[in-house]
Amino acid sequence: MTDELETTVNRALREVPLRRAPSSLESRVLAEIVRRAALPWWRQDFARWPRPARVAFAVMCGSLAAALLAASGFFAPGGALAGAGTRSAGLWLPWARSALTLIDVARELDAALVRAMPPDWLYGVLAAAALLYAALFGLGAAAYRTLYLNLSSAGDSRS
Amino acid sequence: MGPNEHTTVQTPSTEPSSSSEFTTFMRAYQDMVFSTAARLAGNDVQAQDIAQEVFIKAYENFEHLRMSPAAGGWLKTVATNLSLNYLTRYRRRWRFFSEEPSMPDVPIADEFVADLSGDERRALIEEALRRLPPHQRVPLVLYHFDDFSYQQIAQRLGVSLAKVKTDIARGRAALLPVLKSHGIEGAAQ
Repeated sequence: MTDELETTVNRALREVPLRRAPSSLESRVLAEIVRRAALPWWRQDFARWPRPARVAFAVMCGSLAAALLAASGFFAPGGALAGAGTRSAGLWLPWARSALTLIDVARELDAALVRAMPPDWLYGVLAAAALLYAALFGLGAAAYRTLYLNLSSAGDSRS
Repeated sequence: MGPNEHTTVQTPSTEPSSSSEFTTFMRAYQDMVFSTAARLAGNDVQAQDIAQEVFIKAYENFEHLRMSPAAGGWLKTVATNLSLNYLTRYRRRWRFFSEEPSMPDVPIADEFVADLSGDERRALIEEALRRLPPHQRVPLVLYHFDDFSYQQIAQRLGVSLAKVKTDIARGRAALLPVLKSHGIEGAAQ
């Protein structure tokens, strides 16, 4: 029975001819090719970037990562340059000095707030954040089911 | 495919000769690519998106494909892979809080047995396939249309061999009433 069913279904499905592609498919593909070709190189796939640009980008990313790692050494409590004044003294760029001072003030303010806040409040804030996250997730799900799935079904029934 | 069905479109102007060649190439394969995507995705809107992506990849590799006798196989493989990627990534992401859109029932009353045209017969079988849940439709399509073995399907979908066999058997059983209603030989036993 199983083999017979397999044979029957196989034969029936094999006899089903190909579906005709929508007439709009060809124009969609060609329009998309034109659109992508018109994009500037830096908005295309990374693999299609010019080689010098790819190398420069990799070098820049590496330098940025190294700079961030070095900067994290400054921020470490026991770091070589602890304290805003000492840190900013190590840098000669005025904007970097200002940015570091700003970050330092923000961190100190943050730490002071956390210290001053009763533990129950902290738990409450965490619970509220979790609740808001769940609500946002639910809202996204509802929007997806209402908008996207209904549109897809409507598209299917039209075609 | 009816070539006269296609609308006139502006071809990419970057390489005129290869563009017209590519249009001819696309016309030769677009039904196959679209059918492959539509049967797996079970959704015509997504199938169009998948088919579009397949042909854009083909355009990027057209230098190799234009004279290749394996171009059809290449396109089918890419269409299958993109469709499966869509199903496994996209739908798994949303399965937590969504459900498959319900499909209308396929009419299988007795009057449909008589004198169906090829197009009507194709449409009803395609609709019956689309009504199957993805976990039955996808292995069934891979097995019967794409010649995957049970083992290959299990590996590709990341499920057990037993589940693949069970799902395919259930999918076939679900198709049986439609086949019977159309008097397909051997389906009534």
